[in-house]
Amino acid sequence: MDRRTFLQATAAAPVALAASLHEDLPKYQIVSRYQPAAQPGMPGAYPGKVARVHAGKAIDEPSEKVDAPTVREMISQGMRALTGDADARDSWARFFNSADVVGIKVNCSGAPGIMSTPEVVGEIVRNLGVVGLKPNQIWIYERFQNQVASVHYDSFVPAGVHIWTAEHDRGSIAGYDPNTYVDVNFFGEEDTRSNMARVVTEHFTKIINVPNMKDHGAAGVTGCLKNIAYGSFSNVARSHSGFKTNTYSFIGTLASVEPLRSRTVLAIMDGLRGVWHGGPFSPSRKFRFYPKQMLFGTDPVSIDRLLLDVIDDKRKAEHATSVWDRSMAHIKSGRGYDNNPSVDRFVREPGHIEYASTLGLGVYEIDRIQVRKIEL
Amino acid sequence: MMLGFLLAALLPGLYWDQGPKTADVVRQAGIDRVFVPAGQEGAWKTAGIDAQPFDASKFVKLPAPGVERRMNVAAATSMPWVNGNGWRINRDGRRQYYYDVRWRTAALAAAEAYVYGADAVVHPEPRDLTAFGQMLAFLKSVDQPALPVMANIAIIDDGSEETGEVLNLLSRRNLLYLIVRAPDTAYDLNVQIGTKDFPKDAALDPSAFATLVRQKLTDEKRLLRIYGSEVVLGKVNGDGQRLRVHLVNYGGGKVDGLRVRVRGTYQHGKLAAFGIKNPALADYEPADGATEFTIPEMGAYAVVDLEK
Repeated sequence: MDRRTFLQATAAAPVALAASLHEDLPKYQIVSRYQPAAQPGMPGAYPGKVARVHAGKAIDEPSEKVDAPTVREMISQGMRALTGDADARDSWARFFNSADVVGIKVNCSGAPGIMSTPEVVGEIVRNLGVVGLKPNQIWIYERFQNQVASVHYDSFVPAGVHIWTAEHDRGSIAGYDPNTYVDVNFFGEEDTRSNMARVVTEHFTKIINVPNMKDHGAAGVTGCLKNIAYGSFSNVARSHSGFKTNTYSFIGTLASVEPLRSRTVLAIMDGLRGVWHGGPFSPSRKFRFYPKQMLFGTDPVSIDRLLLDVIDDKRKAEHATSVWDRSMAHIKSGRGYDNNPSVDRFVREPGHIEYASTLGLGVYEIDRIQVRKIEL
Repeated sequence: MMLGFLLAALLPGLYWDQGPKTADVVRQAGIDRVFVPAGQEGAWKTAGIDAQPFDASKFVKLPAPGVERRMNVAAATSMPWVNGNGWRINRDGRRQYYYDVRWRTAALAAAEAYVYGADAVVHPEPRDLTAFGQMLAFLKSVDQPALPVMANIAIIDDGSEETGEVLNLLSRRNLLYLIVRAPDTAYDLNVQIGTKDFPKDAALDPSAFATLVRQKLTDEKRLLRIYGSEVVLGKVNGDGQRLRVHLVNYGGGKVDGLRVRVRGTYQHGKLAAFGIKNPALADYEPADGATEFTIPEMGAYAVVDLEK
């Protein structure tokens, strides 16, 4: 057995296990030369554990102005609640040290309406500095340049922090690692590879995942798993065609690929703003809402399991179809989806979160998730 | 896999109807031979440029190469529709072809004609003369005795419109084929429309038919795979020791990062890319019976020479 084949077989083992439970799934071939860490970052040190911090004054709804001191306190309390430390510095030091190169996976697909809030990202960067990282050891990264450019993270972080995007021009694969990819043929597309961003494989020692709380027309919701998976690989939109998507299995499969899985050691879900319909985009405020909360953990499945209820409860309150609704009666092509919360573009696949749990990425069952709630 | 022989490559000619007063402009573009409207050839020769009269009736006019967006037509996704003529030239390489192309397409037309070995004349939009001349110079710089054409698929062409459209789709998906007169077991796959494996009804949907061919061939056996662009079509020539990969970009802009996989292990590779200074292959990996490399940037045409 040659080296490449060996690595493929090793990496594919958990996928093969899950696929045996769902025999109609696409056939994924994972190619990676990276071995998993002794304790992979997902689900990490705190499987099934989530700290939830809510603060009514975190954001002013009419102006959408973020209260930076409140954000600072939310992050401090959230990190301490997750780790059990009295001092937030100790909490951060559990994950990061001065030798690390840290990637912060922001989400800018809904920018400038909703994105990983600059004040939140700025506070994360500040805490990394406290534990000894210099600005040039910190990378804020995302896939698309035009989305990130609208946010201006550079105004919220020290000079020297890298702000990097994989695709300055849409579709370019120059920013991706040619040797780390998932090969799968969904709909007969010619380019069957989705490659991992080069910064993930070549530069980062650790990654912090900073998703938002958003509805997603294809995946049901988009949280930790989708942000880290679809946000770190090329050529992923091909998983949707017509009304069908392969988000159910593709999201977890991508998230499980090394070294992404091992290096993603912390998730901070930014729920200051949220999107309850039309996600991941948010061109107007019509479907935006304000959960005013942040979730902290290392287990992306558990955090996303909580997110499912946040989005579905809001949709129910707004008399929209449930994220679990698979009726074709609500699915329409065209732009109706943009304005009508009872219209879907795709058959939603919120089951992608449970599927990811079968790949060993975290705890899905709600009664096994320990939530520490903090109200500021 | 089978090797089919290709005659020596031809450089495309220029049809120029701007009159002999533009001889200096033509010369500055590096062009010393032109096709001109009948009756002008004497004046052009006086101006120092070798000229022949152009008779359109002797040429088959080809559609302009390029891309257009056709939602949900080319495939299940919104991939662009590539207007390429390789399949037409493959179908009848003995004809003479003529391109009458819009601005910014002449260099592409010249590259396409060269790659498929067409005896072709290009009529460019006047603003494209320099680009056309630059492409001709590039083609001369990379020209070498032709290696045999390589293909996975032997296909019998019955001359029908349906088969033509199948050839078009095979070309667009980089499923390398050679047109043969009878099935040949030396190829990985034989395709004859109207047989049990490839029923005539199936060819009524050329896209689905190409998918069927791909499934039967399998991606693992394919001589050429291209990742990172849906608008680059390839052609491969080789003799077992050397491989030449032609890549034609129909997209109109530059391709930023193209990953290529060819069957066979080649230890050395060299890139030449039209319009790119100091081009070099990146992430070159010969392993496991295949060779992969990245072309960091390419314009209308690139050629990669590999050696074992």
